[in-house]
Amino acid sequence: MSCDDNHEARANDRARRSLPMVGAQNGGAAGAETGLPSRPLWRSIEERSLLGAVPGAANEFPGGASEMDGVSRRGFMQLLGVSTAIATVGAACRKPNEKIIPFVRRPEEITPGNALHFATAYALEGYTSGLLVESHEGRPTKIEGNPAHPETIGATTVTEQALILGLYDDDRAKQLRRGGDAIGWQTFLGDVKARGAKLTERGGAGLRFLTGPTTSPLLADLRRRILERFPQAKFVSYAAVAGDGAVEGSKMAFGRPLVPRHHLAPAAVILSLDADFLADGPEQTRLSREFSARREPSRDMNRLYVVEPALTVTGGMADHRLRLRGSEVGALLGSLCAMLSGRGLSALGPVGSLGHGQGSWDPKWLVALCGDLERNRGRSLVIAGRRQPPVVHALAAALNVALGNLGSTVEYGLPITTDATTGTAALGALAEDIAAGSVDTLVVTGENPVYAAPVDYKLAQLLKRVPNVIYHGLYEDETAAICNYFVPAAHVLESWGDGRATDGIVSIAQPLIAPLWGGHTEAEVLAAFVGDGDLGTHELLRRYWRGMSKLPGNLVGSFDNVWERWLADGIVPDTGAGAEAGVTINGQALAQAAAPLLARSGSGMEIAFATDPKVFDGRFANNAWLQELAHPITKLTWDNALLLSDATAKGLDLETGDIVEVTYRDRTLEAPAMIVPGHVDDAITLPLGYGRTATGHVGRGVGFNANALRTSEAPWFDRGAAISKTGKRFKFAITQDHWTMSPDGRESPPPAVSAPLAEVLNAGSMFHEELEERRGPQAVIHQPVDYSGQAYKWGMSVDLNKCTGCSACVVACQSENNIASVGKDGVGRGREMQWIRIDRYFSGPVDEPEMINQPLGCVHCETAPCEYVCPVNATVHSDEGLNEMIYNRCIGTRYCSNNCPYKVRRFNFLDYTGDISAARELGMNPEVTVRSRGVMEKCTYCVQRIERARIATRIEGRTIADGELQTACQQGCPTQAIVFGSLNDPNSKVSQLHADTRRYDLLHELGTRPRTAYLARVRNPNPELAKVD
Amino acid sequence: MAAPNLSHDPLEPLPLIEGTHTDQTINDSLLSHVLRGAGKGWWMLFGCALSMLGLLVIAISWTLYKGIGAWGNNIPVGWAFGIINFVWWIGIGHAGTLISAILLLFQQKWRTSINRFAEAMTLFAVICALLFPLLHTGRPWFAAYWLMPYPSVQRIWPQFKSPLTWDVFAVSTYFTISLLFWFLGLVPDLAALRESTKSKTKRFIYGLFAMGWRGSGRHWAEYKWAYLLLAGLSTPLVLSVHTIVSFDFATSVIPGWHTTIFPPYFVAGAVFSGFAMVMTWMIPARHFLGLKHVVTMKHLENMNKIMLVTGMLVGYGYLMEHFIAWYSGNPYEMGQFFLTRWHGPMRWIFRTMMFCNVVVPQMFWSKRLRTSIPVMWVAAILINIGMWCERFNIVVTSLHRDFLPSSWKDYSPTWVDLSLFIGTIGLFSTLFLLFLKFVPAVAVTEVKELRHELAEHDAVAGETHA
Repeated sequence: MSCDDNHEARANDRARRSLPMVGAQNGGAAGAETGLPSRPLWRSIEERSLLGAVPGAANEFPGGASEMDGVSRRGFMQLLGVSTAIATVGAACRKPNEKIIPFVRRPEEITPGNALHFATAYALEGYTSGLLVESHEGRPTKIEGNPAHPETIGATTVTEQALILGLYDDDRAKQLRRGGDAIGWQTFLGDVKARGAKLTERGGAGLRFLTGPTTSPLLADLRRRILERFPQAKFVSYAAVAGDGAVEGSKMAFGRPLVPRHHLAPAAVILSLDADFLADGPEQTRLSREFSARREPSRDMNRLYVVEPALTVTGGMADHRLRLRGSEVGALLGSLCAMLSGRGLSALGPVGSLGHGQGSWDPKWLVALCGDLERNRGRSLVIAGRRQPPVVHALAAALNVALGNLGSTVEYGLPITTDATTGTAALGALAEDIAAGSVDTLVVTGENPVYAAPVDYKLAQLLKRVPNVIYHGLYEDETAAICNYFVPAAHVLESWGDGRATDGIVSIAQPLIAPLWGGHTEAEVLAAFVGDGDLGTHELLRRYWRGMSKLPGNLVGSFDNVWERWLADGIVPDTGAGAEAGVTINGQALAQAAAPLLARSGSGMEIAFATDPKVFDGRFANNAWLQELAHPITKLTWDNALLLSDATAKGLDLETGDIVEVTYRDRTLEAPAMIVPGHVDDAITLPLGYGRTATGHVGRGVGFNANALRTSEAPWFDRGAAISKTGKRFKFAITQDHWTMSPDGRESPPPAVSAPLAEVLNAGSMFHEELEERRGPQAVIHQPVDYSGQAYKWGMSVDLNKCTGCSACVVACQSENNIASVGKDGVGRGREMQWIRIDRYFSGPVDEPEMINQPLGCVHCETAPCEYVCPVNATVHSDEGLNEMIYNRCIGTRYCSNNCPYKVRRFNFLDYTGDISAARELGMNPEVTVRSRGVMEKCTYCVQRIERARIATRIEGRTIADGELQTACQQGCPTQAIVFGSLNDPNSKVSQLHADTRRYDLLHELGTRPRTAYLARVRNPNPELAKVD
Repeated sequence: MAAPNLSHDPLEPLPLIEGTHTDQTINDSLLSHVLRGAGKGWWMLFGCALSMLGLLVIAISWTLYKGIGAWGNNIPVGWAFGIINFVWWIGIGHAGTLISAILLLFQQKWRTSINRFAEAMTLFAVICALLFPLLHTGRPWFAAYWLMPYPSVQRIWPQFKSPLTWDVFAVSTYFTISLLFWFLGLVPDLAALRESTKSKTKRFIYGLFAMGWRGSGRHWAEYKWAYLLLAGLSTPLVLSVHTIVSFDFATSVIPGWHTTIFPPYFVAGAVFSGFAMVMTWMIPARHFLGLKHVVTMKHLENMNKIMLVTGMLVGYGYLMEHFIAWYSGNPYEMGQFFLTRWHGPMRWIFRTMMFCNVVVPQMFWSKRLRTSIPVMWVAAILINIGMWCERFNIVVTSLHRDFLPSSWKDYSPTWVDLSLFIGTIGLFSTLFLLFLKFVPAVAVTEVKELRHELAEHDAVAGETHA
């Protein structure tokens, strides 16, 4: 192919030009090995003497090596850096060697455009979610949810959206190495073979595998084969944020390990016990969808009670929220059981006679909740969060069973993950083994355990005692720094793989692109121990599944056809795991286990650790989209903060930005404090995932490492932290400083409207009167433009009642529209670039706030204030009513932004795209212009998607059907809060929503005639608890 | 009436020219600072000004290299120092135009000794102002010509609805007319310099710019007409330029900008600040250049009176903004004027403005204060500061808290912003010092003419009296 030739020629040219420099750095060592001229080149006498003065030049870069044809590691990086574009621009010419299958559009109407879409799967915590990846000429550019997948149902989480940036991250590890020497895969396999041979002599004693949680049947099979060969070997599965409580709890409640699977569609009353189920955990996308579907204002609307220490996305959606220290949740639950039992819920049995626990809650709250649960037997749900201890999960399970929710809102099934538990217990045993010196070879495929493991295990020191540590990871991270062998991992979009969703459905993950930097999969590393390391994951996978497909009654036709259909669909049919039948509560045992829970009353400040909605456990620390995403609650970017309540801060004389010293169990940590509304008193929350010391340049040194205080005994909650003020200050980069809708007491209409259900259902209420004034025609001098003659009149509606604030739309937009990141300094100066932002307002008292989210991008005003002020016609209106931005005409006066009442325009203050890596360029959406310095930009309603749909439908001689076209934010949204379409079609969803009684226009009083309409939020308070508004 | 040279009779107005002079002595005294070599003081000042100008060059280079991100601007504060400085400098120019054109048309004789000075100031202030509209754009290399209605092959015209397009015309017209007006007035004086100088080079250069002026009757007749015509052209400019500049704000929807009172209030503010700037420079200049006999206390007092009047107009503007905000009942307007301006994070700038622009000029009600050199000089500087603060309030304070609290942001300038501001003061000072060195600071011809007029007037008066 000619393009190949060209690229190769250029690559060679680059190589020729780069080589002398490389030689100079590496002295003669490289040349001696490969026969290249060994004499270093120099430009001056000083430089020459310098070359001589550094005898161990190669050691200066410990990761450096010289196997690669006389190219040092650094030179190799340079070569790769400059030739990445060449190597992968031609990815059309360089598909993965194996056959991958494009997604067959089903249902037909949801996939617009010409780019190819491939179904694949991604597992954050072992459970897979189905992805649909858009690929342009072999370059994956955008991630959507696979609508056919039961967990993703076409939407995505924030972290899934950001995978694209992770794929093209130039900071990813690129070199397989032994100690500091670069080696090839075959050398590695040879070493493993040799080591394996030695280990077999003792049946594999001393061989340990430390993996992350997984549901992969292939990995499970490889594990089986490894254990066959090395019967004495052990597998340990560890996740820093493991939620073992559910499994352990079901052992208590049911006498066997089961995991719950929740269904919100039938749930009228939901009680969340420290469970952020709308934004955390493998079920979040589906639960968000099911939850929001029942938020339509009607008598059937669900009601959400949340008990939690720090405000979360789920807590923000609560109709009733109780702030409670995490360690007191169990006591509350015990009391609830007792109260329900007292009211005649006899099914609770002995659990109901435990008696009331001690805690700082309002009994009235509990009584109201109790009544609601009782009235909604079989239609209620109690969810316990990952941080809660087993006994809380057990009691929650008992309650669900007693309330008759089993089979309706919750079902219990066998664990799907290979290891039922992934918490500290197994890791502790491994640490003991290492300390005892009985571990000879440790293979680490889990996520960065040196960073994430409890601090009391001192894993960093322990690992140094293991003679052979093989680490498989995406980055040269904290763990990579102390291993003997480092195997760069292939990104999920570069890998073959498989896995199961929470309901057991299997997805095959197919690579979208050959590994950019030659990474390998976990399966390949494991296969190396059974001699299959050079088979490749694709072959391993096919062999395994070919074997599986022979199961009787499973499949028809040849395996190839079946395989192709699996790949195309993104799911393997009939692989779901059913619910376990005969689940009964072992009441006596549970009552015994739960008794101490009620008596326990700790004292002192509570310290709580929390997963981060952006970087999760720290694995996404090098992802600039996520770092720059405003935290859903605090709106903090590029940092974590020690969160505490206003009252606690006042007691300690602290303000937001004060650096405090936390002392806990004789360890100390300095962290900047931030006051957050709705946080429980006498408690602090430390978000995990920050303070990374070894990762790429994006994530290094961002925030503080809460793991430094996290011990194996108390991975989530404990009492007894002490806080002292250091007197130092810290500057946060926050996108939205002010907490409320009228921070200085002005009396402007609230931007985000919220009302209780009773008012919304009453057509004559104040609510409707007020909204009536905030929509519809206004007295004008000029007749507004008539758009009714156009084929389309684009418009959007955003339902505040559905928006949880999860921010998937923000990252989806960033990915779709090639939006730049500006860094902490940029955000601190107020120059963030995201086209859509989530305005988060609080109302009510600072301790018990009501939170409301309002996604806001350009609202495409029909009479746009931005347009008439532009002196060069760079922003104009289209016939269909889009407010368009013509980048190449823009001279950057910023007048449009000044005159935008919504302040949704974004300006390229600096050159944000000029120095992006060659790799990153590949991930840009080719259908969207990359903006240069000095140019204004803003939401376009995804005009490129409109045009793509227009082309496709015009060819077919028809118009774009409603729902055929989705904007990126709409497609990413798990709750379908955003709807886009033509307002000229009276039957379109968006037209109907614009006609909804809850509809209002933001800043309607200005007469801008925005095309984006908002639907007011509805709260569904329990009449027994309804506050007087 | 008595002899021309009066002792200070309290019933008589202060004289416009002090002492007895002939044309020759006027020539000598007013041209001497041009003809003699530069003094130590001049060099020192010039050195300071040049170093500030150097800062400007650095700041501009850095801005062009890095982009607008080198400044402190953000979203929502899209405009800040750039536009503040632009409006401030344009405003300063207004005193010159007012003095040269309007006072000429009203035949105010006291304008003659200060008009040259003020016109030069106009010119230099407009040069300083003109830097910013271009510099503050994201892509000045396109802004430089896309703002002009030229027959582009892209067949795109500027957007004539945009006040920024109007600005281009308003300011470029203003600059052209001001330059012509100033130069035309200079021509006879340049001829006088050509005749007086002893250096051959200077004679050639002054001769070149004197454009063959021989002082013939016909020359004078044409000159007078041309001067009057240009004065007529300039007069509407005094009102129009700042009116149009104010449209940049008034036509927008932002609370604090969207105000119908802006045009008159901007013009008054411009004249106010312009006179303050003239005073700031005139007071030391008349002292060091020996111009006290032509720039007398009467001139200074008159200018103080104008500052009192325009200061009160500006104060009325402030009052009206608040009144209309309250009267309209618009919550955003009320929020802007009653909460953000007085109590927001930038309240100190607002309060400084109120003090400098409203309180300080009230001193000039007192004859004693308005004729005290130190008092008026300090007051002039305070008014300059106050007017800069006013523009800061309008531009930044309005923008940083507009409609939706979610997008509110604070603003702080960077070193580049400060350097640009200081740098333009350097540019202004450099040009001004060069002007004082090479061109007569006072319109010699006009002063001579005035002397004749006054002498004749007195002679006639004396005859009648006799």
